[in-house]
Amino acid sequence: MGLPVRKELRSPLRYTDYSLAGAAVAVALIGVAMNYAATWRQLEFDGGDPAFFAKRQAVFVGLGVIAMIGAAAVDYRFFRDFASQGYLIVLGFLVAVLFVGAEKNGARSWFELPGLAFQLQPSEFAKVAVVLSLAAFVANHEGHLKTDALINALLLVVVPMVLIFLQPDIGTMLVFVAIAMGMLLVAGAQIRHIVFTTTLGIVAILVVFGSDDLGGPKLIRQNQENRLTAFINPDFDPSGASYSLNQSQIAVGAGGLTGQGWLEGSQTTLDLIPEQETDFIFTALAEEFGFLGSTAVLLLYGYILFRIWRIAATARDLFGTFVCVGMLSMFLFQLFQNVGMTVGIMPITGITLPFMSHGGSSALVAFASIGVVLNVGSRRHMPV
Amino acid sequence: MNERLSSRLTFMGFVIVGLFSALFIRLWYLQVLTYEESTVEARANQIEVVVTPPTRGRILDRHGVVMADNVRTGVVTVDKSRYAPGELDMVLSELSAVLDIDVATLRSRLDDNQSHPLAAKVVATDLDEEGLLRVSERSLPGVTAQWQMRRTYPLNEVGAHVVGYVGALPASEASRFLDDGYLLAERVGRAGVENLFEPFLHGTPGITQLEVDSQGRVHRIIDAVPAEPGQDIVLTIDSQLQAATESYLRQGLLAARKTVSDDSGFFYPAIGGAAVVMDLRNGDVLAMASHPTYDPNWLVEGIAGEVYRSVFENDLFPGVLNNRAVQGLYAPGSTFKTVTALGGLEAGLISPRAAFYDLGYYTIPEKYNCSGRCTFYNADRLALGVVDLSGAMTRSSDAYFYRVGNELWHLPTEDRFAIQNMARQLGFGRQTGIQLPFEKGGRIPDDEVKRTLFESNPEAYNPYGDPVIWLPGDNINTAIGQGLVVVTPMQLANAYAALANGGTLFAPNIVDRRVSRSAENFGEVLQEYEARIMRTVEFPPGTSVVVEGLNGITSFTRRGTAWKAFQGYAQDEYCVAGKTGTSQADGINPVLQRKKEDTALFVAWAPCYDPRYVVAVVMEEAGFGGEAAAPVARQIIEAVRAYEQRWPEPQIAFVAPRPECPEIPEALRGDPAFLSFVPEGCPWGIPIPRANREGDADGDGVPDDEQEAGD
Repeated sequence: MGLPVRKELRSPLRYTDYSLAGAAVAVALIGVAMNYAATWRQLEFDGGDPAFFAKRQAVFVGLGVIAMIGAAAVDYRFFRDFASQGYLIVLGFLVAVLFVGAEKNGARSWFELPGLAFQLQPSEFAKVAVVLSLAAFVANHEGHLKTDALINALLLVVVPMVLIFLQPDIGTMLVFVAIAMGMLLVAGAQIRHIVFTTTLGIVAILVVFGSDDLGGPKLIRQNQENRLTAFINPDFDPSGASYSLNQSQIAVGAGGLTGQGWLEGSQTTLDLIPEQETDFIFTALAEEFGFLGSTAVLLLYGYILFRIWRIAATARDLFGTFVCVGMLSMFLFQLFQNVGMTVGIMPITGITLPFMSHGGSSALVAFASIGVVLNVGSRRHMPV
Repeated sequence: MNERLSSRLTFMGFVIVGLFSALFIRLWYLQVLTYEESTVEARANQIEVVVTPPTRGRILDRHGVVMADNVRTGVVTVDKSRYAPGELDMVLSELSAVLDIDVATLRSRLDDNQSHPLAAKVVATDLDEEGLLRVSERSLPGVTAQWQMRRTYPLNEVGAHVVGYVGALPASEASRFLDDGYLLAERVGRAGVENLFEPFLHGTPGITQLEVDSQGRVHRIIDAVPAEPGQDIVLTIDSQLQAATESYLRQGLLAARKTVSDDSGFFYPAIGGAAVVMDLRNGDVLAMASHPTYDPNWLVEGIAGEVYRSVFENDLFPGVLNNRAVQGLYAPGSTFKTVTALGGLEAGLISPRAAFYDLGYYTIPEKYNCSGRCTFYNADRLALGVVDLSGAMTRSSDAYFYRVGNELWHLPTEDRFAIQNMARQLGFGRQTGIQLPFEKGGRIPDDEVKRTLFESNPEAYNPYGDPVIWLPGDNINTAIGQGLVVVTPMQLANAYAALANGGTLFAPNIVDRRVSRSAENFGEVLQEYEARIMRTVEFPPGTSVVVEGLNGITSFTRRGTAWKAFQGYAQDEYCVAGKTGTSQADGINPVLQRKKEDTALFVAWAPCYDPRYVVAVVMEEAGFGGEAAAPVARQIIEAVRAYEQRWPEPQIAFVAPRPECPEIPEALRGDPAFLSFVPEGCPWGIPIPRANREGDADGDGVPDDEQEAGD
């Protein structure tokens, strides 16, 4: 290595998992390419720069890499000590966004930053904050959660979830469920706790969806209910709720084994899939590079998850393990939910594909999360 | 790292592997197993097909007079299916304000059944450019204001039954038409030549396949096949003679309605009739009239309800849309005696010059052991005295032909059906093959036909339980064209044409040729409908005596039955041979509730000794052939004579159709880019000089300096 490093045995640089960072950057670069594939034709048609979205995404990836390096640099125990402050700040943002956020597609999830080219999505940062503070909390309990501690831990997750539900942004909210389930499972919640909270969650979902049928106010919006109906019955409202579901599956299927080729995907170039550069970026990959290409990218993701899992198992303290488990749950859920909805085995929710979907907040958070994991991994031999 | 933590981490690893496996399996299923279906669906997703209806071919008379044409008209259509029931009111009231038509009228037009129920309905026509703009600037959803081609019939009712009309796709055949690329809103020929030549008139619709994105923006034109206009159909009809024929037929019927019937004491109802003029040298039909008639434009543009009902649902004058010349079935009466005479000669039963004493009736002789009705009277019980075959034809002796019919029946050989055989030889009993739809074949009865009829429908044909075998009385009735014999006026004219021209039976032509209007071979004759000879009839010896008898029909001295109608006629200049007929019609007039009056018939050819044209006139419930039909025929023959003088040989003068000039904006006319699209003869195919430009003094579009450099 040509870097001027101290040849010290416990140096974090020596134990940094460069293959994990490399895999994340590789997926992100493929994402930039797919951003181009999904948008160039429409941009060209509208007379704009065909690479506009790709260039923007490249900038986001650059910023993300910087964030990753930053998150890996300071000892992660710093995050543990300041987790509660960070958590409160993010809560403040989540409250603020409900009042001053920009409304897009009927949801207030964004801060418009005047003068800046992109918007800020506080719920993305809330994911990291919740992972860190929850990890700090359960690490304090040494991995044995009593009932009252469990309730406190759940409260940590539920408060931001409710705020996000009010935006509303069901997809991101579900990420918190996944994070909580994964972390509490590993943190030693007893099986009956898990069964109880899962039952509670299912009842809550049924109440939310059935609130109007039970005579109460309607708690979710009609289009959300329609999307679930469309998932169960693909022929329901084919030009509306089922449109994305069917179109994305057609695009994925049209890819075949080897794909139609770079920039050759007809569904992709003809803009037949809504939100393709963000939530449905995987369809562009699947159509243009086929089963082989999408499998390869999924294996890259699998490698990322595997490395995070390894670092979780070898962390020097419980906080490190739980942080990694939280990140692992977050990535796993987002990946499965996002790819699952494009291939039709999960209902459609607005959720990004980490590293690939177009978006600044998403890229920053994904890379920062990897940075935290690298941080844990690189300091595994440091004294406790 | 304790035991429990690591086992929980392992569990999580299994979850990861499980979820990834689910994704891989699903991807494999979508991308490899069901790849074909997705590809098909993906194709269908991107391609939009735009169908342009072709311009319908025109219908012209033999000299190029346009009888069916297309006009460009501004049309407002409303697509009802775009609206929930209540929403329509708002649109209609807004349209009503723009178009100045009240809402009730608009609503009734929306509910009309002229076009296919799913098609967008036409609510206003005949708009000009400004009117179209006023509607389209409202941009009401489902409402379109655009130029359309509309069928128009410039000669109105002249030739209506021949030309036919266009209407909505018939519900029963809609799917077939849609498969052939028709649009729901298109009109198809429902009658006449419009109907039978639909495949040629329609042309080929233009199909443009576009690759479109989710916003409907066009990315690429995959394939563009321009619409090919339909072919022009040139008829053998002469529109002027046609108009005269229709007019004389109508006048004759009106005159009959002012004549009192001796039978009933009432005015003749004269409910309708038909007239045919045919060139007997090649079977070209020059005029074909049917009454009552209509203006096809009424059916295309629509007319007020009460007018529609008075014309198309009038019980006293029924069957307006029927072309009685080929669809009307009439007992031929005495006009059929020619066939009987020829049949009798063929069987060797008639000695042409033998004398027959017409007592005013005929009794079947004792030797035949007659039972039942044995005495048959002449129509007016008038005894004509001594006649030979010629006289029997001229004076229309019923008794003479009663005897022929009876004695033929008693022949032991095949010749007992000599009348029927001769009738079939002359084209009766089957369609003539003229190019018109829905033609009837008529009926020539013999034992088999009678049995079939009586057994299949006893109520109608055999109410009193008569024996079903062929009786002498049946043959006697057939001999004078009564009983079960029915013919169409076209058959009558065609059979007399065969007699006059020496035995050539044609399949009459009413369509002369099809002319292409496509860009590649504009004006090229695609098919010429040559004279079609069905058969050559061998007439028996003695036929000249029959013809001699027909030649005397207009003669006062020979007591011809039509002499009164031809008083003062220039017989020596353009002499007429023919036969009158007065046939009894079965049944009751349903409106007047009394026995139907006689059908008046007259068939004639002219000139006698150099036959060129045959004319048949049939008038329902109009009285005697000699009194009602013969005067009409005389006027038509005079019109035919005028036609011959108007169009001396060669009679077919081709008038080139005007090319269809495409719409090109004023500023671009003469532009080289458009020259290839403009057919020859269109004014804007010629480059317009662009003078008065700086640096281009001669105005040829090429700057002066470049021109000099080139020179």
